[in-house]
Amino acid sequence: MATATYKASRTATVSSHKFGSPLRKSQRVAGYVFIGPTFVLFLGFVLWPILYTAYLSLTSWGGFGTPRFVNFDNYSRMLSDPIARRAMIITLVLTGVTTVLLTFIGLVTAVLVNAVWSKVGVLVRTILFIPGIVSFVVSAVLWRLIYDPNIGTLNRLLGAIGLDSLQHAWLADQKTVLPAIIVVTVWGGIGFNMLIYYAGLQSIDPNLYEAAAMDGANTVQQFRHITIPSLRVVTGLIVSLGLLNGFKAFDVIFVMTGGGPNHASEVLGTYLYSLAFGSTSGSIPQLGYASAFSVVTMVLCTLAVIAQLWLTRRADR
Amino acid sequence: MSASNARRPWVGKSFATFVLLPFCVLMAFPFVWMLLTSLREQNTIFNGPIIPRSFTGSAYKEAWTSIEFPLHFWNSVWITSVTVIGVLVFATLSGYAFAKLEFPFRNTLFVLLLTTLMMPSTALIIPLYLELKSLGLLDSQVGLLVLYISGSAPFAMFLMRAFFQTLPDELIEAARVDGGSEFTIFRGVILPLTRPGIATVVIFQFLSTWNEFLIANTVLRNTDSLPLQPVLFTLMGQYSTNWPALTAGLTLSVVPVIVVYVRMQRQFVAGMMLGAVKN
Repeated sequence: MATATYKASRTATVSSHKFGSPLRKSQRVAGYVFIGPTFVLFLGFVLWPILYTAYLSLTSWGGFGTPRFVNFDNYSRMLSDPIARRAMIITLVLTGVTTVLLTFIGLVTAVLVNAVWSKVGVLVRTILFIPGIVSFVVSAVLWRLIYDPNIGTLNRLLGAIGLDSLQHAWLADQKTVLPAIIVVTVWGGIGFNMLIYYAGLQSIDPNLYEAAAMDGANTVQQFRHITIPSLRVVTGLIVSLGLLNGFKAFDVIFVMTGGGPNHASEVLGTYLYSLAFGSTSGSIPQLGYASAFSVVTMVLCTLAVIAQLWLTRRADR
Repeated sequence: MSASNARRPWVGKSFATFVLLPFCVLMAFPFVWMLLTSLREQNTIFNGPIIPRSFTGSAYKEAWTSIEFPLHFWNSVWITSVTVIGVLVFATLSGYAFAKLEFPFRNTLFVLLLTTLMMPSTALIIPLYLELKSLGLLDSQVGLLVLYISGSAPFAMFLMRAFFQTLPDELIEAARVDGGSEFTIFRGVILPLTRPGIATVVIFQFLSTWNEFLIANTVLRNTDSLPLQPVLFTLMGQYSTNWPALTAGLTLSVVPVIVVYVRMQRQFVAGMMLGAVKN
């Protein structure tokens, strides 16, 4: 996705040279009319919310009356709030681990799919991709049932093969809740990464391998010196999408654990949501403080996009 | 890989198949289990075998009637349809303008749209909620549609723009010489040539809107107006032990997604390659 945007921005700058020529009025009018609806919606429901949340993050507000301006208090509070610190660390850990796993497993499965008979390949691609097209709610509910401590399938399978000692309240134990979430995230994301890597593999010129084989390069050498470098742009994309998805994680965790037990799976998304909307107990929503987490999330996502532009740029050279 | 493949192709292929097939079984297991559970008797979920001895469709009947499944299914269908159509109209128009028309500040406007493309709804949910509240659109499907369309149109625009850029300029210039207005050219000449692009946007948009949970769960409170995803979430609490009904609900909600995916798989993969790899 972000690769597309990068290229788009480059072509946009190139075509700006044409502005020296006289513009036709009909084109100018049509241009503005055509982008009008998208742009108005963008201003109202994308740009304005971004600015508004940045402003709110500098205030203290319970949703009634006027927000009270408090400078950067929310941000310094974040540093001293143990739950916030924990949520930050968990977000980074989950993001890092899932990104590495998804990139690695995605590449390995793509290489294997690329190697098998094409009919097997089609079947495997179809099956692996299905977890990625169902909603996060469906996968989270499904896995919650599988992880269920009493009648969940995982524990029953462990019991059936005599590993009763490994049976566990997977989502209720602070030690196993994060690995359990990582499994679900990776399960859902492999298909997409496999497919993108597969497309990347297909676009490598087969002559490169033939030439390398004639020079006596073995399979491992070919993989290291042809496959990996050729997939650099794809890897950049996959890594940055992994980071983005990690930073914005919400649905799976919200449905499976709600951030628990005792904040052991709390991430930025679930914490900001509970601060702003979660107070069923009647406490006042902390919209200012929650907005500070929105801003942090936006900064992280922007960094992920910049990282991707950087990776792509290096690959271009 | 290809060095050994050149001499004994079946060795590598067999090895890859040998690794992939068990992996696929593992990956598909949750869905197989979901289907099996939805078809079993309620009283066998605690101690019956994993593959039930007898099958029954009663859980589907229960899920269908007791949670007003048709109502929420219909909500999802029409919210998704309107979003797809809205996004498609806005995205083709603006994508075409950014790709092929020249007007002042085109690049500035484009870069502005570009920089905010990756903002997740997690980060925007608070201001969006407050905004709908002040517009009196909270708890209304119209408000949800506005958020869906405005949130998705920029990305779809980028996709469409990439498709429009592959069309030759001469085509448009020839049509201009023939005296067509910019809109007639767009509608009559350009749009018919971008079917693959349109198919890609439709399928992407369908999947992401059908599966959207966070915004729908936040801005809609009235149960009757909810689409499927938030309902499935509440179902988990309601049916915490009635697993057949719960998994039947999940299965029913997944059917349209699987159907669209299987039927449009080719366009989907093609679109993804254009969006992701070719660039």
